[in-house]
Amino acid sequence: MAVLTPATTQWLAAAVAGVVVLAGVSFVLTPAGGASLRPAEFSETVTVGGTGVDQRRAESEGFVLPRAQVFYSGYRYVVGYVGVETAASALADGDASRQFGDPLTVYVSDLSDITPTLTDQGYVVAERGRHVGWATADTASFVVGSDAAIPSGPVAVPFSERADAERFAAAHGGEVIDWETLRATVADPLPGRLDRFEAATERLHSWGDRVAAAAADRRERPVGAVVGNRSDIPERIGPGRQLGEGVVAEPTVEDAIAAAPTNTTVYVPPGTHAVDQVVVNRSVTLAGAGNGTVVRGDGNGSVVHLRADGAAVADLRITGVGPVGSRGGDSRNDTVDWDTTVQLAYGYGDAGVVLDGAADASVSNIEIDTPASGVIVRESPRSAVTNLTVRGAPTAREGFMGAVLIGAPSLVQNSTFHDGRDGIYTHRADGSVVRDNHAEPGRYGVHEMYTSKSLVAENTVEDAQAGVIVMTRPTRNLVVDNAVRGSTYGVVPAGGDSYYADNVVVDNEYGLQVAGGRNVFVDNVVVGNDVGVRANEILPSNQVLRNDVVHNDRAVASTIGPLRVWAHGGVGNHWGRLPIADSDADGVYDRAYRPSGTVDSRLGTVRGATALAESPAVAVLRRVQQAVSGLRQSGVVDTAARTRPFDPDTVRNATDRRQNATRAGDEP
Amino acid sequence: MPDGPAPGGDPPDATEHTPSGGDPPDATEHTPSGGREAGPTDGPGWTDRAAVVRTWQDLLTVATRELRTVVRTPALLVISIAFVVSVVGVAWAGTGAGGGFVPLTLDLLTFIEVLVPLLAVAFGYRSILGDRQTGELDVLRTFDVDRVAYVGGVYLGRALALVGLVVAALLGVGLLVPVLTADIPTFLAINEAVDSGVRYVRFVVLSVAFALVVLAATVAISAAARTVRTALALAVALVIALVLGFDTVLVAGIAGGAIPDDGLAVLVAASPNSAYRGLVLSAAVGVVGGADVTAGNAAVNLLGLAAWWLGSVAVAVWRVWPAVGETTA
Repeated sequence: MAVLTPATTQWLAAAVAGVVVLAGVSFVLTPAGGASLRPAEFSETVTVGGTGVDQRRAESEGFVLPRAQVFYSGYRYVVGYVGVETAASALADGDASRQFGDPLTVYVSDLSDITPTLTDQGYVVAERGRHVGWATADTASFVVGSDAAIPSGPVAVPFSERADAERFAAAHGGEVIDWETLRATVADPLPGRLDRFEAATERLHSWGDRVAAAAADRRERPVGAVVGNRSDIPERIGPGRQLGEGVVAEPTVEDAIAAAPTNTTVYVPPGTHAVDQVVVNRSVTLAGAGNGTVVRGDGNGSVVHLRADGAAVADLRITGVGPVGSRGGDSRNDTVDWDTTVQLAYGYGDAGVVLDGAADASVSNIEIDTPASGVIVRESPRSAVTNLTVRGAPTAREGFMGAVLIGAPSLVQNSTFHDGRDGIYTHRADGSVVRDNHAEPGRYGVHEMYTSKSLVAENTVEDAQAGVIVMTRPTRNLVVDNAVRGSTYGVVPAGGDSYYADNVVVDNEYGLQVAGGRNVFVDNVVVGNDVGVRANEILPSNQVLRNDVVHNDRAVASTIGPLRVWAHGGVGNHWGRLPIADSDADGVYDRAYRPSGTVDSRLGTVRGATALAESPAVAVLRRVQQAVSGLRQSGVVDTAARTRPFDPDTVRNATDRRQNATRAGDEP
Repeated sequence: MPDGPAPGGDPPDATEHTPSGGDPPDATEHTPSGGREAGPTDGPGWTDRAAVVRTWQDLLTVATRELRTVVRTPALLVISIAFVVSVVGVAWAGTGAGGGFVPLTLDLLTFIEVLVPLLAVAFGYRSILGDRQTGELDVLRTFDVDRVAYVGGVYLGRALALVGLVVAALLGVGLLVPVLTADIPTFLAINEAVDSGVRYVRFVVLSVAFALVVLAATVAISAAARTVRTALALAVALVIALVLGFDTVLVAGIAGGAIPDDGLAVLVAASPNSAYRGLVLSAAVGVVGGADVTAGNAAVNLLGLAAWWLGSVAVAVWRVWPAVGETTA
């Protein structure tokens, strides 16, 4: 220890003192504070709330969308809001501060800079060449109740100068209020959003009803031509079919189609009819007697083509489909755009039935055995695929899609898809309705690509790689009332402004995925999955509440991204019975529950977890995790976990069915 | 102890009597007989300086001996390792280190409040008492070491070890932050007010100050106690009072109405833990933990910590050995 001499001690003391004094300089430096924060580019903010359609229309039509941006004390990024009311209501509600901390600075659009006028619809437009600036909310004045609006409704208009606000109110009505008053008066936007989603669901369902009714009418068309001999027409037409006047009989399917008058049925009697390629290029219905009528292709290309508006095919079985799933591989090159590439890849393979530019066409009660696709619908608006049964290739690799919808809104309902690759695949089929189908596909049940404003409802998927999967970044999709069992992934969302409600995911590896932005996940039932809910959105702008997540090996797995608060306005989710007190018996556990937490996630399942959860160390960590939650990494907290399920019947059914399945599996 | 009093290179002059009183030696009483470089013509100012230099050198000698003791005590090494593991564990188990400096500060705050007093007690409670019990203190006194030099040396030696440990552990954990923080997307604007290393460095400095204050209190206990049992009892009482006692009394006082709301800031400052916590919340967490941190008055908190430090050092210097009059009596 000869190294330690008084001289070295002196040096050591000097060194330590030096370090501490140097560190003490930190008290002289001023970290950035509220006043020094400058407004950010709005496109660089984490945008929450508001609707995407407002934003896109504002961009394309050039009107002004009043916006706000908030610097929170506990969030690394700047949070942007479309509509100053959205920001005001987020700040009035406790959730934002729980998630992000206190607002340090709030900036709102400053319309004093632009001398605003209103269009006929009430949209605010700037004087030529002027740009909207930013004003601090505290000093701004807001005109509410005026004629000003954005596509989703009336809007408050912010001004930095009170005089400008008063001038605007004088011209366009409304009253001038300050930020405090605005915060105190705005309403919670979530109920309104939920109502709009429900209304959109209703609207698409009734659109589907209308399309289905039109398809049913086409199935009832009187018989205008028969394949076969004239003599046996009356006997050979199935029961319930109306015989048209002047029925003709032709020896082949192709001839019968050519001979049938418009808006009649071409009747194909029971038996196997070998065809090359049947093209229905007129508004007639090609109909058989059901299973007994088999239209057999030659094993090359597609079998039936509908190429006229109102064309239909019904009540028959199709075999002999060519083996080519995708013609994308050889025709892909750099000169075509992405859309063409996708279309070639998915829309031009071999199929039992191909609809090509056939508006109001329909495919009803058809059975197809195919090594490639079942039905391909290209650019055929309001077409209907109902009661279709597709049996695909035994593996996903060999097979292709049950039904492909491309480029126009179509309806697929009451259909069944076995094997092959995907049950239903959509590409740019905005506004489509996919409902009441059942799939046991090789890969995905319902697979949406570049498809917005669609409804995927009441489908059941089993043993798939994914039940309902939305890809790319679409908006305003509605995925409701679906049930996915025994699959790798249950429901996988993407994009934004979409509604995932009332889905039941049971016995999957991953049940429900929370992803995308500004999506709402409500009333889903997640039972018995390896991982109940997987949170992998990067920005915490989704809302997750009123879901029942029980009996999963792991309730929540979360990946990158800051803390997500899965509760809103005092309503959270149900995570099963937790050993946490509810002393006031209001149905909400007394403390916040962290389903992704190391200790909380094992509560009630792992021996000793409850004891560990009450330890001072975990209690301290849990307490401090509430502080500056927006800065903390990956995690989910439910600040209002429910003691009882929101949907006890569905939870009980799902649980019972699992137990029965387990019991049945145990029997020899 | 293997290496007894190590007076170092220049042994202190064997003056007959140690000047009485705890304050720096009074030049008028102290005769620098045989002062190393003292000439007969030197004025009182020069004598003064010589005494200070000598005290400082004695102090360094004692401090060196203390550092050696610390390094050679396996129990202290084990406790130090336990401390470092705890701090790293909190950073790892909590979500703070992955989020930034301020979340880490909040994660660590409570643990530092509990661990640093324990650490300080481990480092300090037998320091002077041990010397007294082995008789080394008496031997040292024959070298005419004055009490400031001795107590200061003990304190400096132990403090160097403790502060080194605290600074190394906290700064080390702070270095984890950039490693554990998720990559920041470049397409998003950054809210600069949210997090800064400057705040974390402040936390480290405040933690050092807190450690120094609590160490001073344990050295005072060590100087005052005459048996190990007393020292241990006092040390345990100190830790309990710091970690629980003061704040519990404050809460009880507020609940019972004995403490008026406007007196709280002052009383909070009277507890080292609360003063430290208040300073961390206002200076190191500040705006991030909530725009209006009502963590007490920073100046009063600083004053409280300083008072504890001064009081403790004064007690230690006063009680380290009896005044001359007392021994002869």
